[in-house]
Amino acid sequence: MIAQQLVNGLMLGAIYVLVAVSFTLSIGILNFLNFSIPGLFMVGGMVTWVLIGKGLHWSLAILGAVAAAGLVALAVERLSYRRSQAREPEVPLVSSLGFLVLLENLALVGAGSDQQAFPALVPDFNLRIAGLVVGGAQLVSLAVALALVLAISLVLSRTSLGRQVRSIAESRETAVILGIDVGRLVPAIFLLSAVFTALGGVLFALNYLQVSPFMGEGVGFKGVAAMILGGMGSIWGAVAGGLLIGLTEVLSITYLGADVVNVTVYGLLLAVMVLRPQGLFGRPPAREKL
Amino acid sequence: MTALLAIEHLSIAFGGLQVLQDLSFTVPKGQATALIGPNGAGKTTVFNLVSGVYRPTGGRILLAGQDITALPSRRRIRHGIARSFQNVRLMDHLSVVENLLVGQHATTRGLRDLLVPFRLVPNHRWRREAIDALAEAGLAAYADAGVGALPYGIRKRIDLVRATLAGASLLMLDEPAAGLNPTETNALRDHLALLRRRGVTLLVVEHDMQFVGEVCEHVVVLDFGQKLAEGTLAQVQRDERVRAAYLGQAA
Amino acid sequence: MTGYQSGLLVILCFNVIAAYAVYLPMAAGQLNLGVAGFMATGAYAAAYLTNEAGWPMGAAIPAGGACAGLLALLVAVPILRSQGIYLALATFALGQVIAAIFLNLDVVGGAAGYPVSAYAGPGAVFAATAAILAAMLLLSRTRFALYLTAIKSDPVVTDLMGVNVRAVQVGALTLGAVVGGLGGGLYAHHFSFVEAQHFNVALSIFTVLYVLLGGVQTVWGPLVGAAFFTLLPEMLRAGGGWRYVLFALLIIGVMALRPQGLVTAGARWPARLRGRIPGRPSAETGLSTEVSGS
Repeated sequence: MIAQQLVNGLMLGAIYVLVAVSFTLSIGILNFLNFSIPGLFMVGGMVTWVLIGKGLHWSLAILGAVAAAGLVALAVERLSYRRSQAREPEVPLVSSLGFLVLLENLALVGAGSDQQAFPALVPDFNLRIAGLVVGGAQLVSLAVALALVLAISLVLSRTSLGRQVRSIAESRETAVILGIDVGRLVPAIFLLSAVFTALGGVLFALNYLQVSPFMGEGVGFKGVAAMILGGMGSIWGAVAGGLLIGLTEVLSITYLGADVVNVTVYGLLLAVMVLRPQGLFGRPPAREKL
Repeated sequence: MTALLAIEHLSIAFGGLQVLQDLSFTVPKGQATALIGPNGAGKTTVFNLVSGVYRPTGGRILLAGQDITALPSRRRIRHGIARSFQNVRLMDHLSVVENLLVGQHATTRGLRDLLVPFRLVPNHRWRREAIDALAEAGLAAYADAGVGALPYGIRKRIDLVRATLAGASLLMLDEPAAGLNPTETNALRDHLALLRRRGVTLLVVEHDMQFVGEVCEHVVVLDFGQKLAEGTLAQVQRDERVRAAYLGQAA
Repeated sequence: MTGYQSGLLVILCFNVIAAYAVYLPMAAGQLNLGVAGFMATGAYAAAYLTNEAGWPMGAAIPAGGACAGLLALLVAVPILRSQGIYLALATFALGQVIAAIFLNLDVVGGAAGYPVSAYAGPGAVFAATAAILAAMLLLSRTRFALYLTAIKSDPVVTDLMGVNVRAVQVGALTLGAVVGGLGGGLYAHHFSFVEAQHFNVALSIFTVLYVLLGGVQTVWGPLVGAAFFTLLPEMLRAGGGWRYVLFALLIIGVMALRPQGLVTAGARWPARLRGRIPGRPSAETGLSTEVSGS
């Protein structure tokens, strides 16, 4: 029984991992707490649902949703991040929240506030391993999440693009002096972050077979929690944090009841913040921006 | 002649870099002492140690005979140490007079002073004192200006006025004349003379040797975190090692 | 005044109170993303005292504010060890935990909500809001308010001027929590019902939004921001479902074109900031290195 719950927790955690990685890219590299991310998560799920409803093949629908999230992310970069570079540190945070409100209400106008049924794309098969039941959609989620995280981690550590990105994270001024095209790289980071988030939204829809305009909030905030737990700016910290939050949530629901989830999840977060503010894998940041 | 400030065997290292090494000198009470030396000699580091921004890795700092090495930075101003900043650290969100009111903090006492809505009182004593101090420096016209928009020379001198408002006995000025035009430099010299007459002891980091000669009777030369020479400006200028250090820098 | 108008004005009052709860720490540069938690504490504490202890409203609501303040004081010390975004996120976590605890606390009704046996009419809400506003205006004329801005501008120099930066920050967070707790207690007694679900992240975050939109440079900013946020969606009512879309576009537009907020201190806006190098560390964090010249 407990082993089964652990599996379920890890599967849920996989979705948090994607959102947490998205937040951590934004914070770690750009020092920007991007509150539009829950909105991009919702765009991933909702746009896929809309496009499938219009008769598109599911693969094209997902592609369309990721592209839509990418476009929004570029707009956020232009209007929230870039314009407020030289100003008060809280401004981009507020502006990105504006985007969250915008996206949610656009979805509300378009689709209403109800939960919408998402078609079961992954055949309903269950894998039985040593007495454990793993759903097809769960398996897909875990595989996609793992593959994406591995890919981003390799890109950041092995490629010249990754080196450039890391040098921006170290010091933006030095990166400019070194001739790195920051103006081109920053939108790329936003795009990358959008891909992760939107795919997280798609996976969420695949697993829970429903989408709604506000689907991003709960997951998005837990993604923030996962990022902090693991340590801001650390990819593998985000992975650990996401899985830990998923496990905590599932185990709390099973053994303590659904109502206490927020007590345990955010209590765990608060405890870590008091005892080890830099998170499990993070290092204290040299500079900050809200 | 008693020493107001005594630096004893002070050392500090950042990472592997030894910035000050076994540095000792004294600042005589009531006099103006200049701290000079090539760039990177550790002059501002001395200021940061004396004001408590950094903790030394070795040595002691004595103020009027009292060991203040471990005293938290915020307590030092009440013991009589105030400073200005090389790169002008005025609070940009505040007006000139508001910056000066913050500078007065060390002269206030308790919760009552903290929570009295004194700015409802027209011409409150605190505001008057701040404006009087500005007027002494010839800057009264700027009292209600925002500091961000002011020219550099004015900002620099307001930074100094702010440092004087704590009623400190030791005033540390980090390159007070740098970036000032000749008129402003003259006004600064008069202002410092006024402070001297009130018995304020000065410790000045400055590159302008003419200014040092006119203002300071005592000079300490630093190079690579160590004391090279000490005496009057004329004495240290004759010192072979001082000449070598400066020539070395020029070459 | 019609029922609709007075209802709207009451909502405005609650938003204004919440805005000042966030404003106080924000004036010192500390982002409080968990104000809903402090409001919930005030609401439940005041409701409990009214219901179970039979306290009069005039004592129960201030006591609720005090409870919220006490909670803030308890957590301020460990939380304020962290700076900048860490602080913001710690308050975020705290707000979530508090709301979740009340949701599970059966003595105050748990998820079913908690009816309150006394009622505060609109007049009482207006009067209390006016009193809080007056207190904020008085506070803005003190050294305490001056030091908040000084800390936001340059904490290292403020410390060197002898100001106990940590104590002022704890004071601001605590005083803000008291204000939030008062608002929560008032809310509970006006609607005669408390439910933990009301005090959610959205409430915390939207309150921060009011304050930043109004601007933190003057004490009037939160009032203007809260009014803008409460009244504008009403004015956009004709837009039907689109009104929040329009509203969000306005937020984005205002932040892009006027990032210092709607209300500013006139000529005080520093020109120097406009020339800042992008990505340069903000004054809050790049300090100790900057003082080191040679």
